Amino acid sequence: MSVMAAITLWLAVSGQLVLYIHPRYVVFTVIMSIIAVIAAIAAVSSPRHHDDEGLPLPPRRSRAVGIAAAGLAGAFALGMVVIPPATLSTATAQQREINATASDDAETLAAASVADAATVATFTVREWSTVLRQTSDLAFFDGKPATDLLGFVTADAEDPDSIFYISRFAVTCCAVDAQPLGVPVYLPGWAELYPPDTWVQVSGPFESNPSRSSTKPVVLIPDRVEAVDQPREPYLF
Amino acid sequence: MTTSDRTPRAASRPGESGDGQHAGHDHAGHDHAGHDHDAVPVRRRARGVHVAWAVGATVVLAGLVAVRAITAEQLDPSIPNPIQDLLTLSTSVIIESLPFIMLGIALSVLVQVWIPESWLLRILPRNPWGRRAVISLFGMFLPVCECGNVPLARGLVRRGFTVSESMTFLIAAPILNPVTIITTHQAFGFDDGILVARLLGGFAIANILGWLFSKHPEPMSLLSGRFAEECRIDDGHGHGRDRRQQTLDLFVRESSILMPALVIGSLIAGAIQVIVPRDVLVALGSDPLFSVLAMMILAFIISVCSNVDAFFILPFASTFLPGSIVAFLVFGPIVDIKMLALMRTTYSTRTLVQLTTVVALLSLALGLVVNYLA
Repeated sequence: MSVMAAITLWLAVSGQLVLYIHPRYVVFTVIMSIIAVIAAIAAVSSPRHHDDEGLPLPPRRSRAVGIAAAGLAGAFALGMVVIPPATLSTATAQQREINATASDDAETLAAASVADAATVATFTVREWSTVLRQTSDLAFFDGKPATDLLGFVTADAEDPDSIFYISRFAVTCCAVDAQPLGVPVYLPGWAELYPPDTWVQVSGPFESNPSRSSTKPVVLIPDRVEAVDQPREPYLF
Repeated sequence: MTTSDRTPRAASRPGESGDGQHAGHDHAGHDHAGHDHDAVPVRRRARGVHVAWAVGATVVLAGLVAVRAITAEQLDPSIPNPIQDLLTLSTSVIIESLPFIMLGIALSVLVQVWIPESWLLRILPRNPWGRRAVISLFGMFLPVCECGNVPLARGLVRRGFTVSESMTFLIAAPILNPVTIITTHQAFGFDDGILVARLLGGFAIANILGWLFSKHPEPMSLLSGRFAEECRIDDGHGHGRDRRQQTLDLFVRESSILMPALVIGSLIAGAIQVIVPRDVLVALGSDPLFSVLAMMILAFIISVCSNVDAFFILPFASTFLPGSIVAFLVFGPIVDIKMLALMRTTYSTRTLVQLTTVVALLSLALGLVVNYLA
């Protein structure tokens, strides 16, 4: 436990705790981890009293289960020490189906329809996916291009050759509840240039979908695609 | 106690200025030369050993963190995506639960060691229904989510509460607590009666379940064998030692029992999430009966804490009927993969099967009622 707590602290110091949990829980997690580390050191360094000395040994089977469980926990703690922390990948994005839970919040749409150019330029994958879910009216997208939209590349299920999603995970609590959101981008042969899981920035207007095999009415036609490093906060909070 | 405690500490002060390991040896050498009184040198040597242990533990932890920092820079693992995601998801469940478990252990120690017994028992009504009703409101003062409640419930049983009362607490507290109420209200407001149904439903299920299990002729047999043994031995023992010692012992025991359970629960929950496609569940969204079942299954595998699950489920609210959301919000905090692994440390498998069945049926009924009313 104290190993896990110590690793948690390291994650916090190196700013990678947000790979796992929402920033609003960071302070609480750090405080409790500090307590855990202190308590563990105090416990190791004080004389031990074994309360269970009087206990008869449990039957062999349950003892074996207990040892196996402790071994697994130890191995996992070791894994936390050795394996570098990582963000969720396209495997989870596809398994959870992109935009399955995209919001159809009408207020966002209304705000977007009157937003000025500067505001539209700040839209993330979250805003665009909300808008795209609710309207396919090309007039709406007229003069509202995406600017430096950041996300990782995930293949589209319907037309994997010419459409990819520029996607992000939206996190409300921790990585467990990460919901993939994405904006479809039309770029035939994209996979050669930007393999899945690459982080990219895309700019360009929204137009009607030229692809025959895809049912999406509106896609992003990129003017400019640029491979970038994974941001420090890969999730949208 | 205090005086004999103080003497060696004062005496050992000069040696402690150097590093801990060294100080330890120094003392051991010194002790043989001087005093003929037996207790003092032994104590002092023991203290030196403790300092060495503390320094050793700190060094080991610092070393692990250093290894961690180096491997993050150097190692470029080519782990396949699904396995990497499994690790990320499991780690995320653990990191999310760890602080709550720590808080739960701290409160459990507080209840067991630092609060006088009479104080707790005095505020409770004598009649069993009233007792359980009050116990199910304990959560209002102990804002821990469900994983933190397991050590707390264990503490209550050790403190002389009956098994059925501990269960009432375990089920009600994650739902009837200020943090959960606030987050649920933030997420849903009073729409569709989701908040009200969650609170009343949680309260009712906890009390019904407590009543059912209080009918059991032999309550101790509901507990897991090992925990029942511990309770028997605890009785009338352990009061002689000083409280700091008891606190540390409890901390070690609880964390070494709960952590393996947490790791196993998280790994299974992570694995199922990587394997089972989400759209299978979402496809069932609008059917009054199947939507409730689908949400209960989702709650079961997702294993998020009750303090935050309202935010998790909010994006689903547009596709799912309100009754299924309520079922998710009531069933999830009581029974899920992570919780079953944690509760298994305390209750027997048989008990957990019964508990899961009853809670599942009641949540299902609650969900259906809300679906047809709303």
